[in-house]
Amino acid sequence: MKVVLYLHLHQPWRLARFRYLDLGSGRPYIDEARNLDIFRGIADRCYRPTLARLADALDTDPDFRFSLSVTGTYLEQAARVAPDVLQTLRRIVRTGRVALLSETYYHSLAFLLPPPELRDEVELHRAALQREFGVRPTVLRMTELAYSDALARFAEAERFRGMLVEGWEGILRGNPPTHVYCAAPAPTVMLLARHYMLSDDVGFRFSSKQWSEYPLTAEKYVRWISATPGEVVNLFMDFETFGEHHPASSGILEFLSALPRTVRSTTGLAWATVEEAVNLPPRESLSAPTTVSWADQNRDLGAWLGNDLQRSAFEAAKKVGILARKAEDAEILETWRKLLTSDHFYYMYVGGHGADAGVHQYFSSYGSPYDAYANYMNALMDLRRRALERISG
Amino acid sequence: MIGWEWPPSHSGGLGVHCFELCKELTKMGHRVTFLSPFPGPYTPVDGVAFRCPADEPEEPYPGAYAIGGSPGSWHEGDIEHFNAWIAAFPIDDHQVIHVHDWFGTVGATELARRSGRSLVMTVHSTEYDRSLGNPWREILARERFGIVRADRVIAVSEHLKRQLVDRYAAPPDKIRVIYNAVRPSERLAALSGSTRIVLYLGRLAAMKGVDTFLRAAARVATREPHPLFVVAGEGPEFGRLLILAAHLGLADRVLFLGKVTEEERITLLASSSVFVLPSVVEPFGIAAAEAMAAGIPAIVSKTSGVAEITDSVFTVDFWDIDEFASRISELLEYPALRRAMGEAGRRSMSREGWEERALQTVGVYFELVSGARK
Repeated sequence: MKVVLYLHLHQPWRLARFRYLDLGSGRPYIDEARNLDIFRGIADRCYRPTLARLADALDTDPDFRFSLSVTGTYLEQAARVAPDVLQTLRRIVRTGRVALLSETYYHSLAFLLPPPELRDEVELHRAALQREFGVRPTVLRMTELAYSDALARFAEAERFRGMLVEGWEGILRGNPPTHVYCAAPAPTVMLLARHYMLSDDVGFRFSSKQWSEYPLTAEKYVRWISATPGEVVNLFMDFETFGEHHPASSGILEFLSALPRTVRSTTGLAWATVEEAVNLPPRESLSAPTTVSWADQNRDLGAWLGNDLQRSAFEAAKKVGILARKAEDAEILETWRKLLTSDHFYYMYVGGHGADAGVHQYFSSYGSPYDAYANYMNALMDLRRRALERISG
Repeated sequence: MIGWEWPPSHSGGLGVHCFELCKELTKMGHRVTFLSPFPGPYTPVDGVAFRCPADEPEEPYPGAYAIGGSPGSWHEGDIEHFNAWIAAFPIDDHQVIHVHDWFGTVGATELARRSGRSLVMTVHSTEYDRSLGNPWREILARERFGIVRADRVIAVSEHLKRQLVDRYAAPPDKIRVIYNAVRPSERLAALSGSTRIVLYLGRLAAMKGVDTFLRAAARVATREPHPLFVVAGEGPEFGRLLILAAHLGLADRVLFLGKVTEEERITLLASSSVFVLPSVVEPFGIAAAEAMAAGIPAIVSKTSGVAEITDSVFTVDFWDIDEFASRISELLEYPALRRAMGEAGRRSMSREGWEERALQTVGVYFELVSGARK
């Protein structure tokens, strides 16, 4: 059985406090210094130590291979404050055993907009990967692992060989996540379904002392993998699982280091990249009339567009998008795209209680969803004003 | 219970607190004797008996004189007289003595000592706060006396508790935080949100920061369609604020209503879009809590105690006029925000009833009464 480890690298450009009274002031919407500070901190705790261990594993274990997605906004920030992180990324990609994935440059909600936007943003991202790594990916992942029939058709039109999906009952309909599938409306597009139980054992539960399986060792984890029937186990998680969500003191980095050799020494298991896994024959075709994602208990778009604030902000952003294109000003269009980054909408999630609310609060850069909304709308309204000025000449 | 103001003639949180607390206590079957320096009128509550020094037919205290009038017309001699009267009050089957703020602390302490009863003191605000850092020594001394001598001190927010520990050296383990609550206002929720009225409702005292409200108004007022800013309440700052409003060119944009009746208060809340409480210090902020309970999104200063019990409120540094102006504009300009915050605020305040607060207060009484029996 193939073991597919896929890690997601992303940092958004968070907004500065942009007050209503700042409309028309020419102040920047993005607080670059603050974003870069956050990046530096995570680079120290997570990116550097985790990449070092992954690079080590690649050097010492010729069978180890994994997959990575890196957003454009991540690359921009890394280039500014952590060029060594970029160097390491280039080096491991050169081994040929690290597959990169395509997605939108801005980690955006462009897939919910009228056609040219999504293609443009995926193309921007492709160009960035070509420039940085000299690589052209063949597998697509959409923001927050969003997937639908419409996206499968898009992937087909863009000649992608595969897409990642959440291994959720709503889409698998009784099938296990451990086969390769193809998209019902686009049979040339293979689907790799995230094994969310095994992925979240590491992503969410690893450092939880209340968990009955605590502490999780590589041996135990690989035993679970090898006891799972099927052709492929897809372990998809946030890169920041290692050293950030779970601090180094939890032993997560040692766990990661031990994985490659433990998999190798287990009969019947072998590492594969997403590009290799999509070569496996598909078992069934899957259809997804509505969008599924990897977020929250509902696996829908509720985390970004679940409440009135989020929907109202997104509708407003859509309208400003029309103006931003019309303005024919590269800077205005780029700024608008940064405002489409899904994280901004995520911050407007109104929690209440429960596990999801805790996760949202952890990731938010605002005191409350109302803060997040007001600030976002101010920036968007200012951009709208600028676009209109440009259009009217 | 030893208080100060009581409806209908109350101007701040203390009066509302005593009234609502006594209503709930008597509903639970407790009886309260309320000692007030003023001869009334008192809005009656079943189970609450009112006493004041002016009730006494003769003058049993040497040097005492009749007390009347309003809190504004008080003299130092009145305070001493009131405390002497409290100290000599005939204790019957009263189990606990509960004093609110500094005014009656000396008499209450003596009464507790003489009768062997426990003393609870609720602190609604401190003299440091009311005077913006220039406390009147006499008041400070009475406040400190009560805080030190009381068996339990109730603070209306965590923020206030920290102050009592830091500034009054009160032992933290005898302080209990019991927040203020809100009166139910279902009727209001149905009416609100249709106009562009920005409301301040509260006393016009220096600690309330109404200047900030007016200065923020001046930065918002020019936008179309013009919002109307309403200042409801009375107090020593009235004249100065009126002049400031004129000076800021807000003569036709700000409405000073003076003191409002209960009915007017309800109408005001029902027709406002945004509530602002820009206090320099605000141990709790019942007015903001009640506005939120009515479904009106509120903007309060960061130190307000009410912000400890809800996230559905904008908090701003009390000196940050631009931020107040921006928050007001955002709530006026973005209806989705106004609706979402209004609704969330209403929901969060619906959990904050006086019954729960009275139960918590009785819990403090029981700690003492059962402790005394051991």
